[in-house]
Amino acid sequence: MGQPGEPAEPPPGLQAERTTLAWLRTALTFLVGALVLLRLVAHTRPGLAVGAACVLLPVAGLVGGLAVRRHHSGDREHEPRPLLDGTLPAGITLLAILVAGLGTLYVLAG
Amino acid sequence: MSAPSHETRRPNRVYQEGTDPDPRFSLANERTFLAWLRTAMALMAAGVGIEAVNTSTALLHTPLVTGLAVLLLLGGVLISAVSFTRWATTEKALRTGRPLPPPRMGAFLGYGLTAIGIAVVVLLILLGF
Repeated sequence: MGQPGEPAEPPPGLQAERTTLAWLRTALTFLVGALVLLRLVAHTRPGLAVGAACVLLPVAGLVGGLAVRRHHSGDREHEPRPLLDGTLPAGITLLAILVAGLGTLYVLAG
Repeated sequence: MSAPSHETRRPNRVYQEGTDPDPRFSLANERTFLAWLRTAMALMAAGVGIEAVNTSTALLHTPLVTGLAVLLLLGGVLISAVSFTRWATTEKALRTGRPLPPPRMGAFLGYGLTAIGIAVVVLLILLGF
């Protein structure tokens, strides 16, 4: 809250919640996509599928978990809203590129 | 992994200048970034799906289809990478009060998908569907 006479910063309201839900939706999309892709790769290259699963699935879970944790970090009294930065966007971009890499391997190498 | 503080926010090039904008703008920027990533995921899924059909259907088994699948996957990678760059550029613009970057990816995606759609129709005609 600002001092009397200063314009108070408007609260994010339900936008923070909508954004967290968008994060969870996106993480879930990549998780499901990765699982389907791993299932396809497992037919021909089970070793690669297991190795990729050990990387992709924890990263997808981590992104979702961090998004929820960040949402609740805004509940603290000294920080009345989640402090945003580029960690989560960078993490999910990395996940997208890893999924695409595995997809390209599946397409080119069978 | 600890939560970011005002001093440790990354990337530096975004947070080293300007001031925090109205949080609703930053949150909307993140949601737009995520919508682009889901679009990228849809392209990747289309690429993998086309190849899955390609390998299981003798009638469609052609290198052209594999090429199309790779194209869709590369499109997904490109959109993912550009989305992050655009998120960062937009956030920096919001912090410094500069104009937002122009939306270039929409046209790229629209024209690209149109070209791919036409290619698929031509491919189906050539294959005798």
